[in-house]
Amino acid sequence: MNPGAQVPERNAVAEPVAERERASATPVARETHGLRPPTAPAPRTDGPAARSDALERETRRAGALPMDKERTSPTLRSRQAWFANAVMSLSNELEPTAEEVESILTAGPSLSARDRLGVYRRAYVARLVECLADDYPSLQTTLGEDRFEILCRAYVAHHPSTSPSLNAYGRLMGEFCRDRMGPDLASELSGAGISAGFLADLAALEWAIVEVIHARSVDPLTPSGLADVPVERWADARLEMTPAFRLLRFAYPVNTYLQALREGKALRVPGAAPAAAAVVRSGTTVWRMDLSEPMCDLLQALASGETLGVSLERAALAFGDVAEDVAVKRVMAWFREWVSSGVFSRVMFD
Amino acid sequence: MSLAGAPRFPASVVVMTNRFGLPDLGIGLGLRTAHYAHIVESEPSVDWFEILSDNYMQTSGRPLDYLDAVARRYPIVMHGVSLSIGSTDALDRRYLSELRALRDRTGARWVSDHLCWTGVAGKNTHDLLPMPYTEEALAHVAERVRSVQDYLGAPIALENPSTYVEFKGASMREWEFLARLAEEADCAILLDVNNIYVSAFNHGFDPRAYLAAIPFDRVVQLHVAGHTHHGTHIIDSHIGPVIDDVWKLLGDAYRRAGGVSVLLEWDAEIPPFEEAHAEALRARQFMEAST
Repeated sequence: MNPGAQVPERNAVAEPVAERERASATPVARETHGLRPPTAPAPRTDGPAARSDALERETRRAGALPMDKERTSPTLRSRQAWFANAVMSLSNELEPTAEEVESILTAGPSLSARDRLGVYRRAYVARLVECLADDYPSLQTTLGEDRFEILCRAYVAHHPSTSPSLNAYGRLMGEFCRDRMGPDLASELSGAGISAGFLADLAALEWAIVEVIHARSVDPLTPSGLADVPVERWADARLEMTPAFRLLRFAYPVNTYLQALREGKALRVPGAAPAAAAVVRSGTTVWRMDLSEPMCDLLQALASGETLGVSLERAALAFGDVAEDVAVKRVMAWFREWVSSGVFSRVMFD
Repeated sequence: MSLAGAPRFPASVVVMTNRFGLPDLGIGLGLRTAHYAHIVESEPSVDWFEILSDNYMQTSGRPLDYLDAVARRYPIVMHGVSLSIGSTDALDRRYLSELRALRDRTGARWVSDHLCWTGVAGKNTHDLLPMPYTEEALAHVAERVRSVQDYLGAPIALENPSTYVEFKGASMREWEFLARLAEEADCAILLDVNNIYVSAFNHGFDPRAYLAAIPFDRVVQLHVAGHTHHGTHIIDSHIGPVIDDVWKLLGDAYRRAGGVSVLLEWDAEIPPFEEAHAEALRARQFMEAST
């Protein structure tokens, strides 16, 4: 990030994203011919979901669905624990044997019991991969479908859902890319010139877009609302950020990269270079904007509750030897853009 | 039991044939995000919309803004996928609280979910998993349905899911389980005729036997959808259009119910709004043929 660099006056870009759809339909998995779920990388053994621990314990406690002494059939609880574990165990090594499946499930007119179970095993992964693809379309484009699916399957193995909602399911993808991708995948991607740090930054940017979509909608501060503030009170004013605002600092220029992807420009994955961006939603429109370092510092100061006076003083320091009237013009241009993008919700005084 | 809150819209066709007094809303369409802008801007003539409840829960933002705009103009029905009514985990009180708040916000005419479970031991597969059709499961689900209805202060409608496997040791078929559950829990039924068709193929039963066992005075809504045939099995993909055999089942169910709300679900490879709506309106010819 170049201190004091001038970012074009209007650099906010509307983000053409739609909300994820959650449906009662069964997803048609990519593999439509074979009935076996594709082999997944073995889940890590140090993760919270190494083998759906709670389910594993219950299944083990129940054995292979033993009968209760007073019962002639397995309990509902033990059937569900077994079934869920069979569906959520991603690797083929953990798939129940045909014999085990046949002792619990029936065969159909055309499919064996194990193949019928396979429909659920495939749908489980396909639905969650689909969900992550909705949240991370640029990550998918960058990696390509196959590598993205490998990444997602590893994520699913490590982070089984514990919520009735999928809205926040993908929230840990940035952290996962940075720290938990596993050496095999990281090494393959590195060979393709894609670093874990770059993917983590790109994921963080895409997740910010999801977050602002779901953040509370409030009426934004309007240009006239800002103009109503008497000049003598400007220094003491504090600006409240809209709940649908996220400020991000990156080690890679991922916002510029994402914009190039959106515009269909073939682009190599960029090398490391500090960058910052803001994502904000105003009404139904999500805006992304590149930020220079002074812009980022100023927004950060305002977001942390500093007065306009203190925040602007700090920003002025970053301009160095830029003439005061030029600096004032730039800052006014920034504010025009931020206000028109709905960054602030109101002006407050102590 | 009566629905909490007075309906905010006149029903397009106020015919009440079910025991709950819920209106026949006509032919509706599942509200999909791809159609938001068109619906809000053009206000097309549609009898009603069904929303996926879960799309509007655990969010405070844009999905609710769109939903509010749609709910101001159209009757809404709520259809969920995460109630997990058949699970042996405790009922999720937070989920129920959000569900009730959303019902109150939209003025939804009724709330439905599926006869299934979605997870256990705190993990969620987000799939509609099959129940073992046993006496134990029946008693378990009936007790939970009563509990949910008490909390919501209104009957819920449970939908028969598409299933791809059955448990050994079942003491009854799905249709008997559903019919007995509806009676014992005093709940409504959302009958999905495409799911009947899909499950009939996957398990080798006659869909007419299914229809014959259903207490139609409890059916408050019919679902119809497209599916994907893989030769050895059918996947309930909700990719339209709907095949004629499923439309015929719809006509049969409509006749047995004596008129009931009908809804098309189209959830993948979603076409432009007008195409999806035109497909939903194809229901008319099969409904008329059945009267």
